Amino acid sequence: MTALDLSTGRPARRHSLSLSIGLALVGLNVAVALLTLFWTPYDPLNASGGRLEAPSLLHWVGTDRLGRDYLTQIMIGARTALIVGTGAVAIGASIGVTLGILAAFATRLLDDVMAATLDILIAFPTLLLAMLVVAASDSASLWSATLALGLAISAIVARLTRILAKRVLRQDYIVASRTSGTSWPGVVVRHVLPNIWPTLSVNFALQFGLAVIAEASLSYLGLGAPPPNASWGRLLQEAQGTVYTAPVGAIAPGIALVALVIGMNLLADGLRDVGDPTRGRSR
Amino acid sequence: MLDLQNVNFGYSRHRKILSDVSFSVRAGASVGLVGESGSGKTTLLRLLLGLERPTSGTIRFGDDALDPADGAFMRRYRRAVQPVFQDPYSSLDPRQKVLDIIAEPLQSLRIAGPRKDAVAQALEAVGLPLDAMQRYPHEFSGGQRQRIAIARAIVARPQIILADEAVSALDLSTRIRIVELFKTLSATLTLVFVSHDLGVVASLCEEMVILEKGQVVESGKTRDILTAPQHPYTQRLLASIPRMPA
Amino acid sequence: MSALLSVQGLTVRASGKTLVSDLSFSIGSGERMGLIGESGSGKSMTAMAITGLLPANISVTGSIVLDGQEVVGTEDKRLNRLRGVATAVVFQEPLTALDPLMRIGKQIAEPVRRRLVREQGRATRSAVDREVLDLLDKVALPQPERIANAYPHEVSGGQRQRVAIAMALACRPKLLIADEPTTALDVTTQAEILKLLDGLVRETGMALLFISHDLPVVAEVVERVMVLRDGIALEEGAVVDVFSNPSHDYTQTLVDAARMFDEALGRTGS
Repeated sequence: MTALDLSTGRPARRHSLSLSIGLALVGLNVAVALLTLFWTPYDPLNASGGRLEAPSLLHWVGTDRLGRDYLTQIMIGARTALIVGTGAVAIGASIGVTLGILAAFATRLLDDVMAATLDILIAFPTLLLAMLVVAASDSASLWSATLALGLAISAIVARLTRILAKRVLRQDYIVASRTSGTSWPGVVVRHVLPNIWPTLSVNFALQFGLAVIAEASLSYLGLGAPPPNASWGRLLQEAQGTVYTAPVGAIAPGIALVALVIGMNLLADGLRDVGDPTRGRSR
Repeated sequence: MLDLQNVNFGYSRHRKILSDVSFSVRAGASVGLVGESGSGKTTLLRLLLGLERPTSGTIRFGDDALDPADGAFMRRYRRAVQPVFQDPYSSLDPRQKVLDIIAEPLQSLRIAGPRKDAVAQALEAVGLPLDAMQRYPHEFSGGQRQRIAIARAIVARPQIILADEAVSALDLSTRIRIVELFKTLSATLTLVFVSHDLGVVASLCEEMVILEKGQVVESGKTRDILTAPQHPYTQRLLASIPRMPA
Repeated sequence: MSALLSVQGLTVRASGKTLVSDLSFSIGSGERMGLIGESGSGKSMTAMAITGLLPANISVTGSIVLDGQEVVGTEDKRLNRLRGVATAVVFQEPLTALDPLMRIGKQIAEPVRRRLVREQGRATRSAVDREVLDLLDKVALPQPERIANAYPHEVSGGQRQRVAIAMALACRPKLLIADEPTTALDVTTQAEILKLLDGLVRETGMALLFISHDLPVVAEVVERVMVLRDGIALEEGAVVDVFSNPSHDYTQTLVDAARMFDEALGRTGS
C-alpha cells in the first residue's frame, strides 16, 4: 500500500505564510545591517542630542543616557546580531558537518566514542560553554563570542549530521553509487550532503536564532563585543537603570531582538513547509 | 566469464553464511541464483559486486581474481558488471534528476563520450521517454523506476548484469513487463538473476543454481532441474509453489 | 441463511482521493472469498473498513453489516465488541504484528482471556494457559511451551505468522480476514501456512476473506474471488470461472501473467 500519509493526508505545500513573513523580517534586518555600513542617521559614538530624550521627529527612538541616537545603536545592533549569528552558524556548520560525516563512517568503537563525547558537549549549557571560551580568549570581542557559540553549535550539528548521514548511507542508492564506481568522497558530495541538507538547513535557521539570543545574553553580562559594536544585549543592560523613566530604551532593542529571532524561526518553519520539491511520493 | 571456486564467507567459524560455493557463468548465459531467506544469496551477490571479500576461495573474472582492493581492476570490473536492485524506491537518489542518476557510472568510471547521448540511448532501450531525463524519481511509478535503474545499469555497456530480486517488489502486471525487458537485454548481455521466485527465474534463465543455507545443492539447466529435480530441497521448493488451476 | 458480512456501496475517501468506490459484496458463514488486487487497488482499505479500524480523517460511506451490526458510523466502543468476536485479522508483516517486548504466550493469552470472560464470565490462569498451549499446537508449532516463553524475535518469520494466526483463532471469530498473510514469507513456509489456514478454516467452519495480489495463492484457499482495481470491483465469481473466463481485460492480463510464470515452471496445474 502506498502514498497517503494517513496521519495528515496533506501533500507538501509550495507556498507558506511562515516563509513569507520570516523572509520579510529577516530581510529587513539584513537590509538595515547592510545600510549601516554606509550610513547611519547619526554618529554612533558621539552625542547628537540631549540625554534620554523621548522619541521625536529628530530621533525616532530617542537618545541613550549619553545623548547618542538610539536608532543608530539599534541599527548597528542588527549588524552585530547578524554577524555573530551567521558566523556562529558558519563555524558550527563547517566543523559539525565534517565531524558528523566522519562519525557516520567511523567504525563501531570510534563512532560510540564520538557519539558519547558529542552528547556530553551538548549537555553542557551553551551559554556556560560560551562564557568559558570567552574567558579563555583573554578579551571579549566579536570574534570570541562568535567562536564560542560556533563551537557549541558544532556539537549539535555534528550529532544531527551523524544520524542523518547514517540513515542515508543505509539506502540502496548509495550501494548503487559505489557500484557505479564512485569513490566514498564522491558519494558524500553527490548523494549524502544533498539528502541531509533539507533537514540540516532548517536546523541551521533555528541555531541562528539561538545564537543571536546567546550573543545578546553574553553582551548583557558584559562578555560580548565592546563598543563601538553595539549589541542589543548591551543596550538592554544599559537601559536597565532607567527602565521606569525611559522605557523605550529597553523596549526598542527587545522588539528588535524578538523580531529577528521570530523571523528566523518562521523562516525555518517555512522551509520545512515548502519541503523539498521531490517529496510527495505518489503511486 | 565469472568463476567461483570454493567460496566461503562467514563472520566466525560457527556462523558460516556461505560454504564451499562453486559455479561458473559463461559469457552470454542467463543464470538464476535461487534461494530463500537464509540461503546466503544476498551475501553472494555482495561478493560478486566486490562489496565484500570472501573468507576463503576465489572469484575469477576472466583470467583475473576479483580483488576489491585493486583500484584499477575494480574500475574495469565495475564497467563490466552492473547491478539492478530490488527496491525501486530506495535505489534511486530522490534528490537527483534522472539524467544525473543514469549518467553517474559514465562519470565515475571516466567513460568518454557525450553523456546525454549515452543516457538517451539507455532510456530508449528500457522504453522510457527522453523527457524523463529532466524529471525526478518520485514522479515515476515503481515499474518505471525500475526501468530507470536498469537504464543506469546498461548505460556503461556492461557485459554482465547482476539483478537482485529485481522484480519482486513489483505488481504482477508490471512484473511481466520488466521480465520482458530483462529477456530482451539478456539476448546481448550475460544475466545473473538472484531470486526466490522460481516462476520468474524459470521464465528468464536457462541455467539455475539452487542455494540452501549457504550451500549449492543443485545446479544445471533450468529445463532439466524443473522436470527432474535431484535434491530433496529442490523438490520441496518446486512442490511448494502454488499453481494456477487448470 | 443471512450473510455474515454484507458490504453495500462502500466508498472510502481521503483528502480528495477516492480509494474505494461503491463496493458491494457479501460473505456467508463458512464461505471462503478472495480479494485480488495490486497495490493501490483499495484491498487493504476494505479490510480495515470492515473492522472499523480506519483513522478518523478517512471518510467511509455506505453500509457494512457484520454479524448483524452496522459498522459504518458506529462508535468505537460498540465496534470493539465486534472485533475479536465476529472477526479477527491476520496481517502481512509478522514482524510488526506482534509486540516485540512481550512474550508470545502472554500475547496470545490476551484474546484468550477476553473470550473466556465473555463466554464463561471468568478466566482462570490455568484455563488460559491450557488454551494458549492448545492453540500453539493447533497451528503446528513444535514445542509449544518453549514458544510460549519466547519473545517474537527469537522465532522465525514463519513461526511468527503462525503465532499471529493463533492469536486470531483465539477469538474464535466467525470471519477471519487475512491480508496478504504469506507475502512476506518464503515459498516453502508459504505453502505450509496456506495448508494450515485451509485446514483450520474447514475445521472450525469460519468464513474467510483472503486478500492478496498473488493469483495462484488465492486460488488455493478460496472458492469465490473478486478482482479490485483502483478501488472498483471489476468482477466477481467462482475462482475457476474468473480465471478461465475473465470478463474484464485487466483480469485477463493478470491471469495471463500468472499463467506465463506458471507455464515456465512446466506441468500446468496439479
